[in-house]
Amino acid sequence: MATGSAENPFLRPPSDEELAPVYRAPSSYNPLHTFQLPSGQDRHYQQQYGDMYFLRLAKLKPAVEEIAVETWEGFSIAGEHARRVERVLDVRQGELCWVAGTIYMDMPLKPNILDDLTKENFTLAPPPRPTYLDPTQPELTQIMLEDESGRLRLTGTMLRSTQLATGAIVAVLGTENSNGDFEVIDVKVPDLARQPRRWERDEAPSPRKGTGNGKIAFVSGLGITGTSSDTLSLELLADYLLGYTGSPSSNNDGNGPSDASAITRLVIAGNSLGASMTVDPNENAAASKKKNGPKKYGYDASAYNASPITQFDNFLAEILPSIPVTLMAGASDPANFSLPQQGIHRAMFPRARAYCSGPPAAGETPEPGWFDSVTNPWEGDVEGWRLWGCSGQNVDDVLRYLDFANSHGLVEADGDGEARIKIMEAMLRWRCGVPTAPDTIWSYPFQTHDPFVMQACPHIFFAGNQPQFQTAVIEGDAPLKLNGADTEMTGTDDSTSTPRVRLLSIPTFKDTGELVLVDIETLEVEVIKFGTYAGQEEQQ
Amino acid sequence: MAVADYKRYLAENVLNERRTVTFRSLSRALRVHSTLAKQMLYDFHRTENSKRPQSVNATYIVSGVQKEPEPATNGHTNGEDRNGDVFPSSPYLSSSMPNQDFASDTVTTASVVLVREEDLEDAKSTFESILSIYIYSLQQTLLQDLNVLTDVSRELVSNHSQEDPLEYGKQWGMIQNRNVKRRTITRPPVPAPARTTTATTATSKPTIPSKRPSEASSQTKPEPKKEEGTGSEQPSTRESTPSTTSKPTEKSAPMKREKSNLFSSFAKAKPKQKKEESATPAESAEPSGAEDVFLDDASDEEPEELFPDSGKAASSADASRESRKEREEKLKKMMEDDAEDEEMPDAAEPPEESNPIDQPPPKQPEPQEEVTVQGGRRRGRRRVMKKKTRKDDEGYLVTVEEATWESFSEDEPAPPLKKKPVASAPKGKSAGKSGQGNIMSFFSKK
Repeated sequence: MATGSAENPFLRPPSDEELAPVYRAPSSYNPLHTFQLPSGQDRHYQQQYGDMYFLRLAKLKPAVEEIAVETWEGFSIAGEHARRVERVLDVRQGELCWVAGTIYMDMPLKPNILDDLTKENFTLAPPPRPTYLDPTQPELTQIMLEDESGRLRLTGTMLRSTQLATGAIVAVLGTENSNGDFEVIDVKVPDLARQPRRWERDEAPSPRKGTGNGKIAFVSGLGITGTSSDTLSLELLADYLLGYTGSPSSNNDGNGPSDASAITRLVIAGNSLGASMTVDPNENAAASKKKNGPKKYGYDASAYNASPITQFDNFLAEILPSIPVTLMAGASDPANFSLPQQGIHRAMFPRARAYCSGPPAAGETPEPGWFDSVTNPWEGDVEGWRLWGCSGQNVDDVLRYLDFANSHGLVEADGDGEARIKIMEAMLRWRCGVPTAPDTIWSYPFQTHDPFVMQACPHIFFAGNQPQFQTAVIEGDAPLKLNGADTEMTGTDDSTSTPRVRLLSIPTFKDTGELVLVDIETLEVEVIKFGTYAGQEEQQ
Repeated sequence: MAVADYKRYLAENVLNERRTVTFRSLSRALRVHSTLAKQMLYDFHRTENSKRPQSVNATYIVSGVQKEPEPATNGHTNGEDRNGDVFPSSPYLSSSMPNQDFASDTVTTASVVLVREEDLEDAKSTFESILSIYIYSLQQTLLQDLNVLTDVSRELVSNHSQEDPLEYGKQWGMIQNRNVKRRTITRPPVPAPARTTTATTATSKPTIPSKRPSEASSQTKPEPKKEEGTGSEQPSTRESTPSTTSKPTEKSAPMKREKSNLFSSFAKAKPKQKKEESATPAESAEPSGAEDVFLDDASDEEPEELFPDSGKAASSADASRESRKEREEKLKKMMEDDAEDEEMPDAAEPPEESNPIDQPPPKQPEPQEEVTVQGGRRRGRRRVMKKKTRKDDEGYLVTVEEATWESFSEDEPAPPLKKKPVASAPKGKSAGKSGQGNIMSFFSKK
């Protein structure tokens, strides 16, 4: 507040001083195409989803068994040694043993395709539920461990304090009781995968000449609806990114928003468009009846509201001359619905598409464009760091499996944000970015590989469209690493450092007006909030 | 530099025209650095209010670090705060990972807040430290709804879309990027300034046009690269040389090729109609708006055509407001028209030319069929949709609508068709409407 108008560069009469142009630092960018689906004819939806579970189990079982062997070798209770059992069906009653498999949770409110079929509800997708748990009947929730041989129901107090979700690969230690249930004593997860070194896939650039560190900016949930009310913060955001907000002369001493010229790349994590762009069919039917207009077949241009995408295109076209953008699709964006969502097609962006890379020649991976419309989830290297992010569907869905109501009474209360970070950590340790696909998240039926299994541990793991900003740093288990626990992906260099992952839960911009900046050297995080000051006028 | 004239510009726009001027619109209009524009706004605000208090109202951007708001709205709980009570302890985590520390680094949250002049002091008091304050916009009255400001920038987008940001960004004070990659093949199609805010331009000043976008004269384009000539041509010349209409610069030529087949048929038939339009001096704002939307859809090379129209559109400042609503409606109509792929044979062309004052209808049905009129009889071939039902390989009945040509011969068109052009002087839309009605009856007969 000490800033007097005398020293303020803006609150003074125009001067003749020449303002030097500010240059943005270059961005090093190397996306991975992990989630790119085959295009056109090669994309099939006839396959069974079961393969995905087998692929996942095959991939992660060795990793989790490695850890289990590490800890449980020689473990004994009352003179009985824990035995390793290969398949869940081989578990014998009363015998202390451990076994690895996939978690399957049967929950009362979980959408069930078989139920839908028997009730002949083929047409409508089930409405999203806040949770799959039924708090009034907790006993209906069953946790099972399955592999290719069969299923084993898990029980025990241990489970109550452990967060698990369908699709996670774990190893459990315990005994089968007289009911045929498996009493769990301990649970192990695959833990973090090998983390690549920084600049592993790229050549490290020569040290920057410029002063200060670069930043990567993350934003999600722009939620553009095309009405004027939602774009004011967006304006401010664009102003900031283009450098109109900060004063280039004043050095940032940590007291304000960082100089925008340090931001080398903007990552938009989904839900850029708010309202659905087509009018609700029911509503539309009523309207058209009223209108008494001509009956239309097929594409009805009047039911399509192009305003949101036009606005978004304008926003992109405005900032693209200055900053490269990675755009991820999200649940409300015009892309396919099932994960992995493919990038929003550039034809949607008549103005911004000039910055896209050209259409790829057959068989070759295109060079990443200045404006890169990517998949969701997405994986890639930015400034040498490995990023793995999703537009939030993965976290939202796992949250429905977990019971956070017990601890503080309200299901969707404020503390939910902390839960989300925990879930993100758990997903990293499960080595599975979207564990609940294909069970409760729609997914492409992969046949040959499960891309949701994380081959490498990212440096920055982010989820978009969360209710509030959260961040944390997690670390891998150093001692285990040094023992070579992680044989699955052992490289030559992974014992040199313990993996450290920066978790980011990126808030919905439309609600919070927050932009997240991550320092590219230290991975420190800062937040910039855009908004209007609700003055007395509005408060009344 | 145009610096000297900013007072005049602001006086005209803010005081006389009662418009809202943001630092960005000022910076674009005068082609000055955004910092300079902010200073201009400040200077103008100070001098005007010292002359006459409350004559100009400002909104400010305050950026800095805000004091922690009350915990309820605090989105940034650090790990420590809650680690205990939400997750009492998650044993699998702790067992698999002894060093489970949620690094609870304090995240700095900076804020960029838009504030009304009245609330400036209040807002300042919520800040712990302030990095910068500047004037975002000036307007004559207090803004009840700050969202109005987005309209200004929307206009900005449409007005200055011709200016390549890569070229002018430096002037505006945009952060430059040396590595920007842009494909040269496609030029972003330029959304033509529909409701052009030519109010700015109505105030054409002889002193500065060198610096300002030369829209002042209402027909020229700011982009120096493009030929300036066409826009300023008189409608009459254009009429005589229809080729001007399709004078896209070489850049837009590829765009044309990209057009889908559907539109190419429109495009072919277009020039004639355009000609008529530009010959109508009484063009009002709204049809130009609608027209514009349609063109966006159909063809890219035509925006230039609109400049003469939009210049006239500026006659009243609020015409643009109302035109937007109408535009939407028009758009809808337009779309409906588009959807019809059956064109009515149209005999209205010659009378149309005979009274050029007539408003051009949103869209004229184009004659695609050959029709000859002979002694009160019309004959020719026309295209009709026929329903055909047949069994396919798997034994299902399939109904397909197919376009077939049939020849016909009938009496001269019914009276309504003939009278239309004469009767519809005030509202040209009726032409389109009656055409539609005919189509409907065509469908309903089945």
